[in-house]
Amino acid sequence: MPNLSLYAVEALLILDGEGKRIYAKYYNGPHDEEQASQQGKSSSKEQMDFESRLFKKTHKQNADILLFEDSLVLYKEYVDVSLYLVGSAEENELVLQQALAAVRDSLELVLATGIDKKNILEHYDMAALVIDETIDDGIILETDPATIASRVTKPPSKDVPINIELSEKGLLSAWGFAKSKLAERLQQGL
Amino acid sequence: MSTHTYKKFEEASSGVLPDKMTIYQDCLNAFNESPVNSKRCRLLISRLLQLLAQGQHFPRTEATALFFAISKLFQHPNDALRQAVYLAIKELSAVSDDILMATSSIMKDVQNGSDMIKPNAIRSLTRVLDESTAFSAERLFKSAVVSKHPSISSAALVSSYHLLPVAESTVKRYSNETQEAVGDLKTFPYHDGLSEHYPNSTYIAQYHALGLLCMLKSHDKIALMKMVQQFSSGSTLKNQLAQVQLVKLVGSLLMKDNQMISQFSPLLLGWLSNKYESVQLEAAKLITSLPDRYVSPELFASAVQTLQSLLSVPRAVTRFAAVRVLNRISMAAPEKIVVCNPELESLINDSNRTVSTYAITALLKTGTSNNIASLIKTIANFIHEISDDFKIIIIDAVRTMALAFPEEWKSILNFLVNVLKQGEGGFQFKSSIVEALFDLVQYVPQSKELALENLCDFIEDCEYNEILVRILHLLGKEGPGMKTPSLYVRHIYNRVVLENSIVRSAAVVALSKFALVKKDPTLAESIEILLRRISNDADDEVRDRATMALEFIDSIKSKGGSESSPAETLIQSKYTYDLASLESKLTQYMASKQDAFKTPFDTSSIARYTEDERKAIDLKRKQDHLFAAVSSGKSKGKSGASSDAEKRNGAYSGPASNELDQDLQATKYAEELGSIEEFESFGPIINTSKDVALTETEAEFVVTGVKHLFKNHVVLQFHITNTLADVALDNVSVGCTPAISEEDSSLTEITTIAADRIKPSETFASYVAFEKSQEVVTEDLLNTLYFTTRELDPSTQEPFESDEGFQDEYEIDSLPLTAGDYIKGSFVGDFTSCFDELSHQEVSVYNIRENMSLQEVVDRLIANTSCLTLDNTQFTSADSNTHTLKLFGKSVLNGARVALVIRMIKSSKGIALKAEGRSDDAILCNDIVNGLM
Repeated sequence: MPNLSLYAVEALLILDGEGKRIYAKYYNGPHDEEQASQQGKSSSKEQMDFESRLFKKTHKQNADILLFEDSLVLYKEYVDVSLYLVGSAEENELVLQQALAAVRDSLELVLATGIDKKNILEHYDMAALVIDETIDDGIILETDPATIASRVTKPPSKDVPINIELSEKGLLSAWGFAKSKLAERLQQGL
Repeated sequence: MSTHTYKKFEEASSGVLPDKMTIYQDCLNAFNESPVNSKRCRLLISRLLQLLAQGQHFPRTEATALFFAISKLFQHPNDALRQAVYLAIKELSAVSDDILMATSSIMKDVQNGSDMIKPNAIRSLTRVLDESTAFSAERLFKSAVVSKHPSISSAALVSSYHLLPVAESTVKRYSNETQEAVGDLKTFPYHDGLSEHYPNSTYIAQYHALGLLCMLKSHDKIALMKMVQQFSSGSTLKNQLAQVQLVKLVGSLLMKDNQMISQFSPLLLGWLSNKYESVQLEAAKLITSLPDRYVSPELFASAVQTLQSLLSVPRAVTRFAAVRVLNRISMAAPEKIVVCNPELESLINDSNRTVSTYAITALLKTGTSNNIASLIKTIANFIHEISDDFKIIIIDAVRTMALAFPEEWKSILNFLVNVLKQGEGGFQFKSSIVEALFDLVQYVPQSKELALENLCDFIEDCEYNEILVRILHLLGKEGPGMKTPSLYVRHIYNRVVLENSIVRSAAVVALSKFALVKKDPTLAESIEILLRRISNDADDEVRDRATMALEFIDSIKSKGGSESSPAETLIQSKYTYDLASLESKLTQYMASKQDAFKTPFDTSSIARYTEDERKAIDLKRKQDHLFAAVSSGKSKGKSGASSDAEKRNGAYSGPASNELDQDLQATKYAEELGSIEEFESFGPIINTSKDVALTETEAEFVVTGVKHLFKNHVVLQFHITNTLADVALDNVSVGCTPAISEEDSSLTEITTIAADRIKPSETFASYVAFEKSQEVVTEDLLNTLYFTTRELDPSTQEPFESDEGFQDEYEIDSLPLTAGDYIKGSFVGDFTSCFDELSHQEVSVYNIRENMSLQEVVDRLIANTSCLTLDNTQFTSADSNTHTLKLFGKSVLNGARVALVIRMIKSSKGIALKAEGRSDDAILCNDIVNGLM
């Protein structure tokens, strides 16, 4: 029986070069109680064990895809970090491949200097947003890397000091600023 | 750079996070600050996310505090901060209380937020809603679904999908909008220049809308059909995931109703040449997993062709997917994928080991007697280049091939011997080769001599005790029956001289068996001399065994070679115990501690198997294992792969567990029946049939029946399950009446034991006992279930006191007592000569008009006769219209042999069977041949 569910992805993991967890998210629907308990990957200890077994099995194998403990695992290994995507064994392999490629390519776009451990940890919020924009609790949300990257905001550089120049342009901007502030207040008052 | 900032930098890059309580405190402080420092807050949220993703848990109260602190940040207008806030809310909502409080702030963003954060707001909204509040978001979701912005629409659809388990009715209210969203091609608005990346719509909202719609209409077949029609035409669906989803939808429709295939065939054919590989793959997967008889050969062939083209794609994932499907097909119908053999061969050395493993196993399955030799040559060329666990998989495949093509034993044996002699490889690998050779020796008698000879050579320099001991045991068992037993004696004695004590003791046991060789008295004498010499061994176990063996030989001699001396059976035992039931009995015995173990353990209740029986069981297990892989491979599509995976993990060992369960089941039945006093006088159970379903599995009362044969009695055991939720069944019994009139029937009913009360979802047994003559009795028994229904009080789950209940009956299928119940499957090495040997012959012809496939007929025949299939005839080839089935068994009453050859031809009118049976027993032969179907 083909599975019509949209929940295609079971987990997305980023492990470092020694198999330690950098990012790990095991998906189950927010309102789906059943799904949560079925996996044998529910407690964090089981998850960690699963990750270390998986890492052992895949490290330096360069195989891209394998069946691991009744799940399909697609992965991509970099110098000191690997991306893993776990899906159900019946899922279409190429669909999962699309999801992993989306995460990978958009990470590459967002982290300007390429995917490595230091870069991911320094821009952890961006990485987390990329993954969130690609997979929403197991459902593949978007597969186009540019679209995903465009939806990920950069951290605010610093709080822009409000500085009003008293030239003609400055007055205009002051008017604009006041207008937007007013609109915001009104909205909040609603 | 000051030391302080330096340290901070270190922490971030090394992944070592500050203590979780520090972050917790920092978060609470920073989020409650005014004005909000957006940069610092986003950094803290980033840390928090990192903590959560690495498996740190906050207690509920702390998580709730964090949740509310974070929701304070809604007052800050910065989109970048807002996005991070939503992510944190998503993460925390699962572990916090009172998350509903954030609903209104989020809803405000859904309405008025910028396009950037609207999707995030929508997706967070679904997390804070629950059953009771979902309806309030209906309008928001509806307007988001119809939004022109693809991300907003997608977010709303996915969020609605998440809501389905709790608020399906709410989501249903905008199913029209959802339906429109499937066909709507939304593009991103003109690029605003805020981001350096240019979004390019993949129309993925179609996928989400289609997925949601499938769920909403999952019970409405007509609506689903309409959807397929509507969305498959032209280029309505642009997104490839949506197209894959549509293929899956067709698949689920076909699984429910196979007949619709003709209607969908053109569609499927089109998908096979779709521009997206994922769609091609899904269509090919679907076609090849449907039951054979519904798929036209042309369609199947084009599916295989598509898979074939996917095999040569550079991307490993594509190759993996295609070869995995092919491997699955190869288990059921290897002849259909022979066209792919060149591609499969080129994948043998694929860099992805899973791919090459699949390729090789598929290749080995496609092997026919014509190309086995060349295939094995190919494998022999590269087997040395691959790793050990991989070699084991190949050896396993070769081993199944040896069973499938006994006539090809020569090339297989040569191959096995060669890899064995190469001397490389660890214990597991060697052990699997030896295992394969053992199988050859057991099931292919022609190969015995050569195989044993090679094993003798091998033990000369084998470093693994376990393997040595096993080979010595085999030599002891098979050696005395061979033409030149003395040859093996020499090899075995060499071990006694050269090896350690474990191997020496095994060798002594093996040696002693040669003393039983009748035709060669000098050999027996020399064995005695050897044993005497060994009894001076340094090791006490070896000495003991030698002395014991000498003692046995002496006692045999003193009796002057009379046939059944107990010593003889002690040296070369004729039967083995059923180990599973022996184990369970022994544990029971140890646990009961009755009268301090004064009564000795009683072995008579444990099933014993003679050599032939054991072989039959082993072979059946192996066949079943193969077969299980085929059938579940068809239904689930993953078992083939997972069993491979199991083998790779080294978890797979020994026979299929369901067979073991069956053995235990038989023991359990024996115990159950033994505890019922009415049946005590019947003696031991001679045979127990399989559990047969007598009703549909979805009936109100599910009944299955088991037949137990005793010497002069038959007991029918019915298992009755009450599937009704609010009714208990009282006094449940089964009335059995022979189909022919009372007087003619050779069965007389003695007792009926009813089940007192069956509560909802409980299962109880009811028994009916008959007396019968000692001969083979075959009867058809009509069954009716009698019972009194009593309604249950929902509060106590007990029947109402006042309710008298009313009597009712329920007709269930008949349970015929057939000739097959008197037969146990058995093994012979050479079926043809055995068939000719048997004296009584019977021929019968059948005509089946029902629409059945040959395989179904074969399955039914095997079940009806309970014989063992030989010469690998239990699988029909899907292409041919003829099949010959060979069955062999023994009567459980007197051990008479029965051999059947059943030829069948399928034509447009139905299936014609010609059964030719031979047996030692004329009546049995007659009964079985005339009672096949």
